[in-house]
Amino acid sequence: MSDILLLIGRSLKNALRQPATIIPNIAISVFFLFVYNSGLNSVAQLPGFQGTYLGFILPVSIVSAAVGGAGLAGQTLIKDIDNGYFTKLLLTPTRRLAVIWGPMIASAIILTAQVVLVMLLALVMGLKVAAGPGGFLLVVVLAFLWGMAFAGYAAFMALKTKNAAAAQAATFAFFPLIFLSYTFVPKQYVTAGWLKVAATINPTTYVFDAMRSLLNTGWSASSLGVGFAVTFGFATLTGVLALWAARGATKLAS
Amino acid sequence: MTDQDGEDRTITAEGMRRTFGAVPAVDGVDLHIPGGRIFGFLGPNGAGKSTLVKILTTILNPTGGKATVAGYDVERQGGKVREAIGVALQDVGLDPLMTARELLVLQSQLFGTSGDEARKTAERLLVTVGLDDVDPKKRAGAYSGGMKRRLDLALALVHDPRILFLDEPTTGLDPASRASIWEEVRRLNEDLGMTIFLTTQYLEEADRLADDIAIINKGRIVAQGTPDELKRQVGDEVVELQFAQCEEAEQAYDALARIAPNRQASGHELRLYFGRAAENVPELVRALDGAGIRLQGLTIEQPTLDDVFLRVTGEALEHEVDEAGDGASGSPAPEAASATANEEVTS
Repeated sequence: MSDILLLIGRSLKNALRQPATIIPNIAISVFFLFVYNSGLNSVAQLPGFQGTYLGFILPVSIVSAAVGGAGLAGQTLIKDIDNGYFTKLLLTPTRRLAVIWGPMIASAIILTAQVVLVMLLALVMGLKVAAGPGGFLLVVVLAFLWGMAFAGYAAFMALKTKNAAAAQAATFAFFPLIFLSYTFVPKQYVTAGWLKVAATINPTTYVFDAMRSLLNTGWSASSLGVGFAVTFGFATLTGVLALWAARGATKLAS
Repeated sequence: MTDQDGEDRTITAEGMRRTFGAVPAVDGVDLHIPGGRIFGFLGPNGAGKSTLVKILTTILNPTGGKATVAGYDVERQGGKVREAIGVALQDVGLDPLMTARELLVLQSQLFGTSGDEARKTAERLLVTVGLDDVDPKKRAGAYSGGMKRRLDLALALVHDPRILFLDEPTTGLDPASRASIWEEVRRLNEDLGMTIFLTTQYLEEADRLADDIAIINKGRIVAQGTPDELKRQVGDEVVELQFAQCEEAEQAYDALARIAPNRQASGHELRLYFGRAAENVPELVRALDGAGIRLQGLTIEQPTLDDVFLRVTGEALEHEVDEAGDGASGSPAPEAASATANEEVTS
């Protein structure tokens, strides 16, 4: 375990030395929160809307932070490969899992910190979390796992392409997923059939649902169960893909 | 197979092969390197040196063959191999955002050393490689090429490895940095009994450092032995003839076929190998006179590894670098200008 902790620590320290890699992502999340909340909050006046629009739109801001921030894992790996440090790490007894997951977990921790900042800002803006402090915490946990899932995807793309721009572009390719869902209005107000289909097969929908239930309506076993199951499944899939790509990328002997 | 202290420091390879697509980078290499020796692996760019190092250090799988390092199989016991070896590859592996101390402490901890011990190791190694007086806040990315090499070497030493792999450790270094690396390599070998596997494209480096040498060309080992053994293969003494024109050297090459069956032409020069050179000089001069070839200079010297390399590969290796330059500018002799009489050499 200690090798993973050491490599997480190294990635965190490096990220803090380059605030320019973190700040734009926070700025985008905050921008989303302000713009959509102030521009669309009259949606909350619609009949049947539960909770506040701030609680409804906050998960969009959180998930966009997670998707954008996860690219850091891929960038770290590509930089390591380019400057030879990746090979240097492979020449130590460190587990391969630690070499790949160190940057992934570090980027998930950083985006979790960003998410906490955005949520604190939402509290200042008047957010009342329906499920209380425990709900607040679970939203953070969900954001961390969703970040891990995207960090795994970013790491996979980085190890496959070995190209920073391609890996970053691949992460951004997932941004449309945020909008192919019940992003701005609840399900009952969406009339376009194609969007309903897209939202149903889009895993982001279930993450939004779980977070919104905690923020706006309180504890819901079904929303949380599905949300966590989808997130766990996605994170496991991309984590395994990243490790598989690492074996291929390094032609490891053992 | 093991040394007096019971630790295996040997390197062996049997029929080692590695192909990239259809191209064989390493093509059937056999090696038996006893513990505690400095082994020089000499060859031009693209000969297969780095590929073999990557296989022996477990970061590249072979296509065929078998190899052991420190007694462990490189394919099946990679973890054990990595614990026993230190590696400084041709391309240094440094995180440019970290300081030298941070890199050394982390590397040491990744080999299982506690934090305090790792910090002590870092300080000790910074002194060893002469980086202890560098600004501690300076990040590795801001280091010069020579400093990066020295730091990379220090990273390879954090766990007191039994075997050290150095892949072209001095390529691109200035003469002073090169000398300091050579000194350190000798010290590690003599004081700690470390087996050192050193690849180089510099003959001088192999000659000065290595106890044993293998010459690799196009993926195959073409000669192997101590530097003296290899030099004796071409003859005990060399007469070097210098001419004003390459054409004259080529004419002389033909004219001296009977007197000096073992000979090599390279550019303006012709090198002739004899048991006792001085006895043959009068006849050489007469033969050249008779053929109307004007001689510019004549020297008698000991054979060098360059002679060996030229003989076994038919090509000249990169010569030692300029004295004051950046060290990377050794220029290979043009292949077209070299001719050999390999088929006539008997050893």
